[in-house]
Order: sequence, then C-alpha cells, then structure tokens
Amino acid sequence: MLEKKWHSTISLLVIVSLLVIGFSGAIMAQERDKLKAGFIYVGPVEDYGYSKAHDVGREHVEEVFPWLETFYVENVAPSDVESTIDQFVNNRDADVIFTTSYGHMNPTISAAEKYEDTIFFHCSGYKRRKNVGTYFSGLYQTYYLSGLMAGALTETDKLGYVGAFPTPEVKRHINAFAVGIHEVNPDATLHVRWLNAWVDPSGAKEATQALVEEDVDGFAYTEDSPAVLQTAEENGAFSFAHYNPMYRFAEEGALSGQVSKWGAIYQDILYKVYYGVYTNENLNDVDYWWLLKEDAAALQAKPGMKINPKYEDALKSVTVQDTHFGEINVYDLVMKRLEQMNADRVTFDPFIGPMEDRQGIQRLKDGEWATHDELWQIQWAYPNIKGPWPDEPEA
Amino acid sequence: MIEEWVVGTLSRTLAYGTPLLLATLGEIYSERSGVLNLGVEGMMILGAVSAFATAFVTGNPWLGMLVAGITGGIASLLHGLISITLRANQVVSGLALTMLGLGLSGLFGKGFEGKPLDSTITNVSVPFLSDIPYLGEILFVEQNPIVYIAIILTPIMSFILFHTSLGITIRSVGENPSAADSAGINVWLVRYLCVFTGGILSGFAGGYLSIAYRPAWTTGMTNGMGWLVIALTIFASWNPSRGLLGALLFGALMHLSYRLQPWVAPELLKMMPYGSAVIALVILSFGTLKRSMGAPNALQQPYIRGEK
Repeated sequence: MLEKKWHSTISLLVIVSLLVIGFSGAIMAQERDKLKAGFIYVGPVEDYGYSKAHDVGREHVEEVFPWLETFYVENVAPSDVESTIDQFVNNRDADVIFTTSYGHMNPTISAAEKYEDTIFFHCSGYKRRKNVGTYFSGLYQTYYLSGLMAGALTETDKLGYVGAFPTPEVKRHINAFAVGIHEVNPDATLHVRWLNAWVDPSGAKEATQALVEEDVDGFAYTEDSPAVLQTAEENGAFSFAHYNPMYRFAEEGALSGQVSKWGAIYQDILYKVYYGVYTNENLNDVDYWWLLKEDAAALQAKPGMKINPKYEDALKSVTVQDTHFGEINVYDLVMKRLEQMNADRVTFDPFIGPMEDRQGIQRLKDGEWATHDELWQIQWAYPNIKGPWPDEPEA
Repeated sequence: MIEEWVVGTLSRTLAYGTPLLLATLGEIYSERSGVLNLGVEGMMILGAVSAFATAFVTGNPWLGMLVAGITGGIASLLHGLISITLRANQVVSGLALTMLGLGLSGLFGKGFEGKPLDSTITNVSVPFLSDIPYLGEILFVEQNPIVYIAIILTPIMSFILFHTSLGITIRSVGENPSAADSAGINVWLVRYLCVFTGGILSGFAGGYLSIAYRPAWTTGMTNGMGWLVIALTIFASWNPSRGLLGALLFGALMHLSYRLQPWVAPELLKMMPYGSAVIALVILSFGTLKRSMGAPNALQQPYIRGEK
C-alpha cells in the first residue's frame, strides 16, 4: 500500500519534472528564436529625409534588443508592397512587418488578410485589423516651436513653406507653423508652394527661389532632401530641417529642425510583440500617435543642439507679451513651451481655441483643445496662410 | 515691382534652362548626323553621378565636370556601337541606354546619396557688366559660370553647323549618307563623332545639375529632363539658336509653375514641357510630319554601304 503510494509519488514527480523541463525547454527555445522584423520604405534609405529617419529607428531597435533581427527594402512603391511582403513572409520568416508610407496602407491590409499569422504595423494610415496596428510620430508641436522662432526673426514679415503633397499631415504641419508665427508676429504671413512630390530636389530648389523672389526670408518645408535648406542659405534666409537633423548641410542657414524619432515607437511595439502583449489577434485598436512627450519627436538642429547658437542672441532680443508668462523673450518662450509639451501632463498645445480658419469659419471654441481626429483630418488653413490650398473647406 | 518680377524670373529661367540647352545642343549634332539618341536621360544622369563622385572625392568641381563629359561620351559610344556599327534600331538602343544609365547611376550613387558637397561650382557676379540695367541683372548677377558656357556654345555650334565645311559634312551625312560616302566622307567616323559630342554635352548637363545647380546627388535627379531635350531638339527644328529659345521657354515654365502657383494651377504649367515631349515623340514617328519639321533625311536610318 505504502509502496504503491511511493510509486505514484515518484511517477508524479517524474511527470511534473518532465513537464517543467519540457516547458522550460519550450520557453528557452522561444527565447533563443530571434524575433524577425521587416521594414518597407517608400524612398531610398540615404535620402536624408523620411526613409532615413525610419532607418535610424530600425538601427536603434536592432541595437537595443539582442533578440531582434531586422531587414529592410527601400524604394518600394505602393504597387510593389504586396510582393515585398510575400518575400518577407515566405523567404525571410518575418514575424513583424512595418510598412512606412501612407500609400502602403491598402496593400498592407490585403497582405494582412493573406498572412493572418504575421503582425503588421502601418505608419500614417487609419485602417486597422486584428493583425494590423498603426503608428505615427506627430511633428506639429515642433513645427509650432519653429513658427515662434520664424515669426520673431523675419525682417520682411514674409515666411515660406515648401510643401510636398497637400495631405492632412502636411497641412497640420503648415498650420502649426502658422500658429507659432502668428503668436509672436501677427503681421507676418506664411506663403505656401506645393511640389506634388515627396522627393523633388530640383522642384524644391525652384520653389524656394520663387519664394525668395517674393521677399520671403525664412523657410520650413516637407521634402526629403536638404534642397530647401541649402537654397535658403544661399539666399541668406534661415530654415528648419525636416524629419532629420540637417545642420551639416547649412551651418549658417539651419536654425533648427523638426525631427522624427521613430526608434521610440519601434522599441515599444517590438518589446510588446516579443513579450506577447501584441498578437496577431488584438491590434484592432492599437494606434500610436506619439509626440514630444513620448520622445517620438524632437526640436533639433543636430543631435545635442536644439537651436543653432548663431541665432540665439537674435531670438533673445525679441520679446513678446504672453498671457501666462508675462513679458518673455522668444528664446525662453520656445524653451518654456517645449517644457510644457514635454511634461507628463501636457499643459500646452498649438491648437487651442479660439481658432478660426482663413475663411472665417470657427474651428475651435474658446479654450477647446483640438482632438486627435480633428488634427488627423485637418483640411483648413490658418488665417495668416497665403497661397493655394487644395481641398480647402468652403465658407 | 513688375520689372523686379520679370528680372527675377528670367534669371531663374537661365539657371533651369542651362542643362536643357547643353544637352539639346549635343542632341542636335547627333541627330543632324542621322543618329537619334533617346539615351539623353541616361547619359545625363551618368554625368551627374560621376561629376558628383569626382568632386566629392577630389574636391575639384571642374574636374568633376570633365569626368561628367567623358562619362557621357563613353556612354554615347555604346549607342554608337549598337546603332552605327551594328546598325541596330536607334530607338531601341537609345531607350536601353536610358534605362542602363538610370540603373547604373543609382547603383554607383548609393554611397553619395545625401552627402553634402564642399566644393561646388558657385554662382558669380560679373563686375561692370552686372551694372547694365535689366540685362546685367538677369545675366551677370549671381549666375553660374556654366550658364555662360552654354550660352556662348550656342552661336559657336550654330556657326559650325551652318557656315563651315565641317557643318556641311555633318549635315550631308544626316541627309544623304550614301552621297556623302561617294564624296569621300567617312560616314561612320562623322556619325561617331557627332554622337560622342552629344554624349559629352549630355554629361556636362548632368554634371551641372549635381555640382552646380543643386548641388547634391539624388537617385533619378534628372527627373525626365532627358525627354524634354528630345522634344526641344525637334521643336528647335535641329537648329542650335532655336534650341536656346526653347530651353529658356521650358526653363521659364518650370520656374513659373512655382512662381505663379497662387494664380495658375501648377500642374498645368509643369505639364506643358512634358506634354510637348509626347507631341515631339509622335512627330518623330510620323514620316511626313518629321519632314515638314525639317528633320535630317536619314535620321534613324543606319547606313549600309551599297544600299540605297
């Protein structure tokens, strides 16, 4: 009787230990298996613009996570996205695939329907699925800060914006820039020219020249090369780099820049995928809209330099009257605003009412903050914006 | 105000029209000798990447221009080999050259993408001449030396083509190669030289883009300019001076698409040069139209001795 009990105890022990070993083996096997993440870029990695910024993020996560293996394909047009995904899934065993351009949205969704086991993340779109999440690093706060500086430094009261496509993203940036300008310089106007291309250095150069001829003396832009920055410097104008720090292309003319830091977002996503928080079943509501606070965006002339020191004195010599801070110089104002938007509890946003668009339609009521959806779909233009504005809502 | 506007626009027109003009002058010579070279885009971009690489490595932009010319020239010899020596279809060979150039330049240019260039061919203002009202401001204030080179080349190349025996030789080879051959002209050599000239000038045009106009290297930076050159050559009815006018007109349209944006749809202005390129290619494919535009008689016809 006792012997039998003894036996059953031993066999139980053996079974349990086998199970434990088995499980831990399985866990260890899982640990040993590297997570494989594929990145699909719309432009060339070395474009020093949008795709470069994403690749900096990819390099960041590859460095941070020893269990991660990454690979990428550049210059992928929307029509080639599906075949690239086929390759990633079938030949390279990708677990997670990032598609980084707005135009990649529909092909990503249809590929996700085909590969139910793979996790997808699409940047800048709005379509999600149980295995497709979305993410975006918002730059509008930094554009607003650049606007403050531009408004303070312009001598002609004319500032320029060379825009890629008239999408809500670019319009949001232009509006934020315009809000900043207006706050310190209500007389200044912002003149917009469109390229209808994400990459068109010659067009960007010509558009900048055209604006210089119109007496514009400060620039911001959305285009994936330093063309605007360099052309502005040639003409003695200042400008703000876009997506990547571009100080080294124009050490005189680069005042600062709105810089994306995709690494922060990639790190969070991949960490959560690896530890099973995100699966191929629960991404329906996963949407990252990360800003300054989450360290997904930064105000930067180059790493370690927020504002080009050549402009520091000039910025400090211009003072404005702020309802909250009282009399304050623009340099300090930029730093204060940065602090407010960096804080855990954000106490400032460029889009706070009352706000009207240039057609006179009220967009935000007194004290009202713009919501994520309003900013995401923004089509209107701030009153000091001049120039063509496709799809402008009619009064 | 208006004056300032016109002066500013014309000054930019020159800057943008220069690469078009350089390559058009070359293509006119090539086609005058009877060889259509649709590889302008490819030769231009090879010139652009090699100029940038040379200037970046050596720090000498003028050496970069030289290398650009040589690269364009060598690329054009490939077209020469296929279409003159092997007598293959000029259209197919030219298209192949364009694709080859775009591909190769992307490959070799990878390491130079987005790199800042310290030594560039910078704009100059000419003393005294820049004081001339209007003309001085347009031509001699902050213009690139290569703009002057292109403008000076125009009358020289026009003079050679229409007023020298060399020009007569070139034109006769393009009009009637067998007659030229029986007159003792080396048709083969003349055609090669003309194609080579076209290659060199296309290479220069590319070099201007990457080390003077931009200055930077971007994959595909010629952005269809080579096709505008094909169109310009036809609209200039194979005449260098008209080529200058055409290049300026196309340059102006490009600049004005940004300048006039608040008033005129930019798509319309930007489309016009490319739209005209399409029309030009249509003209090329219809014999009668081509004749009435004054095309060289033997254009696109490989020369085979003893055949009519």
